[in-house]
Amino acid sequence: MGLPDSTQDLSSEMDVDAFRRIFPLRFFERHLSESLRPDARPLGKARDTIVNLGLVSTADGSALAKIGSTTMLAAIRMEVMTPSTDSPDEGCIAIEFHMPPICSPTVRPGRPAEAAPVISKRLSDTILSSGMIDLKELCLVSGKAAWMSYLDIYCLDADGSLFDAALLSAVAAFSNLKIPVVALNDNGRIVAINGEGEEESNASKKEAVNKEKRKLTLKNVPSSLTCILHKSYILADPTAEEESIMDTLVTVVLDSSDQMVSFYKSGGNVLAYSSAIKSCVELAKKRGKELKQILGEMDID
Amino acid sequence: MEIDREDGRKPNQLRPLACSRNILNRPHGSASWSQGDTKVLAAVYGPKAGIKKNENPEKACFEVIWKPKSGQIGKAEKEYEMILKRTIQSICVLTVNPNTTTSVIIQVVHDDGSLLPCAVNAACAALVDAGIPMKHLAVAICCCLADNGSIVLDPSKLEEKKMTALAYLVFPNTTLSVLPEGSSLVEGEPVEDGIITSVTYGVMSVDDYFLCVENGRAATASLSAFFRKNFQQSQKVSFKA
Amino acid sequence: MAAKQGAAATTYSPKPLVRTRPPIFKDSDLDWTRPDGRGFHQCRPALLQTGAVSSASGSAYAEFGNTKVIVSVFGPRESKKAMSYSDVGRLNCDVTYTTFASTGTDHKEFSSMLHKALEGVIMMESFPKTTVDVFALVLESGGSDLPVVISCASLALADAGIMMYDLITAVSVSCIGKSLMIDPVTEEEGCEDGSFTMTCMPSRYEITQLTITGEWTTPNINEAMQLCLDACSKLGEIMRDCLKQAASASEELT
Repeated sequence: MGLPDSTQDLSSEMDVDAFRRIFPLRFFERHLSESLRPDARPLGKARDTIVNLGLVSTADGSALAKIGSTTMLAAIRMEVMTPSTDSPDEGCIAIEFHMPPICSPTVRPGRPAEAAPVISKRLSDTILSSGMIDLKELCLVSGKAAWMSYLDIYCLDADGSLFDAALLSAVAAFSNLKIPVVALNDNGRIVAINGEGEEESNASKKEAVNKEKRKLTLKNVPSSLTCILHKSYILADPTAEEESIMDTLVTVVLDSSDQMVSFYKSGGNVLAYSSAIKSCVELAKKRGKELKQILGEMDID
Repeated sequence: MEIDREDGRKPNQLRPLACSRNILNRPHGSASWSQGDTKVLAAVYGPKAGIKKNENPEKACFEVIWKPKSGQIGKAEKEYEMILKRTIQSICVLTVNPNTTTSVIIQVVHDDGSLLPCAVNAACAALVDAGIPMKHLAVAICCCLADNGSIVLDPSKLEEKKMTALAYLVFPNTTLSVLPEGSSLVEGEPVEDGIITSVTYGVMSVDDYFLCVENGRAATASLSAFFRKNFQQSQKVSFKA
Repeated sequence: MAAKQGAAATTYSPKPLVRTRPPIFKDSDLDWTRPDGRGFHQCRPALLQTGAVSSASGSAYAEFGNTKVIVSVFGPRESKKAMSYSDVGRLNCDVTYTTFASTGTDHKEFSSMLHKALEGVIMMESFPKTTVDVFALVLESGGSDLPVVISCASLALADAGIMMYDLITAVSVSCIGKSLMIDPVTEEEGCEDGSFTMTCMPSRYEITQLTITGEWTTPNINEAMQLCLDACSKLGEIMRDCLKQAASASEELT
């Protein structure tokens, strides 16, 4: 390393905050050598995680996920579409990840964040390939009508590990999803039946198409963990500051039976060797259990 | 165990490789790379004075522009751009030309599977052609997991669709070193075994992933050899000239 | 593999888009109750919270009934390179809606209206050459969106420590038939005859922005003005309490 002595000397007389800003890497490495992180977490531990369901009343399903201060709001709107001819009895899921300017100082209006479409794509790849949702369950009338579910995820506060939080909020939103009861009207269009009230007389005339299918069955729920590889250290669930200082990120997505849905590493100074990959997978397994518990506590109904 | 592939290849057999460099006049470096019918053209401009807002006074900056064969650039292309950019940044020496931007333009000529690995290889060859300082090369390969659990390398588009899972892997090239064997080990593994980039689609078990990595690694040795041979050839030509 | 995504299929919502106009004011104005059971001159309960976004210099979350808004303030920070030198600071506002916030129009004019409402209250000369960015995201639209955004923005500015002459509060009043309703919800806004939005500095008793649209009689305007001023000063109290609480909480920590 360049000038170890000069910084060593400086650090003794320098304010901690100033040291953190001027020598961020050294600041972190000092912590890492003590097996601690600046926010008092051990290396392999994720931040506190909270999930809240059903916050958006205009959506059919919604969830807010918070990992540390990274906050994601996911909401699902269900609309009707004509299924394509090659899969007449399957619905569709469209996933969009947004980073509005409120979430981070780096995002400005009119200049969308570079990361947003990439995370969007990774989310839809992960959710669709994990087999969490059987698209056949989104079918209403075979060949005529099926559900198109629009899942929109908004990042309200970006503080690292965006993909993990986004995936968590997406899964929670699907678990919160209540599919509206609908019927086929005379024009061949699908209309909603407002469960009770004045339309009772109308509803009895039209048979509800999906009375028993109000909820989707979620199997193979994916959970993800992002880790930083730095030298031989592995830091789970990095904050934005950590991500900006140490650039090698690895995201492992496992499903509920510990199958690998995605192993994502794009570049970075540190190469991933088998031993590091194995440790990341182990951490992800542990994290998967934690998340399962958090989501399990939510599923009261 | 042996499965039949459409084109009669063995599971771990790559399609014929072709690489030519310095094919375009205006860019500082260019290369075309093809694996079977998949063909990608890469051009490198730079290093130029940093004009991008994300320029860094201490490091060289890279931008990747992905041009699809036809149509508009979508999310998938944006993802490829990001992966490629980060991969390039990790193999180049960034401190030599601080405060500069180097543009890498990728033009897809034909996509018949393994597109991203092909683009990584093309970009790498173009960077060498442009004389951008690099730590090592990046060698990319696509590994597929078939329904019956066997691993297939370098799939065509048709094969990609039939697979249960696939992994795009990028490794450093194998080195010819004067150092005694074993001196460059990192945690008991040779340097070239480390993964630079890994992108996977589809569900597979952790063991299958490691199987993919192992197979991919073996294949990159021959890819590295191809790179080396190609570069040596063109060097001889330029010496003569 | 995931090829079937983003297909160009046209979709429609099974819920009818056109809201039926509520059968109001058929017999007598006085018999009608508001959709959420409030009195005509009663505001929705306000939930205010500062420090909602950790990466911003200041931020606030506001929830008035179903209207939910987050505002982040960034800066003062370097102005865009293209901007020329300026003795006074700049203010940059942006209001966006989430895709699930509402079924209906997007409000392009809100960004400039927020800018107009705030520029009179911020001490621009306290941050020369730099820009303060105020970004708002409407998570859910439940009526009176702009007043909520403005009030929330002033709270976020205070949280960011931007110097202001006073807090800013905004309240709107809808005129339906002969009655005035304060803090209208979406249904009421949909069938109003006129709307009246006032932004004011409660302690200085000054108005920074006043928007009147639709059909109004002079006595109605006077009444609406009184209603708004009254509500604004009460909202100002709530906001002040919210800031005091946040400040005392942070003092306890240190």
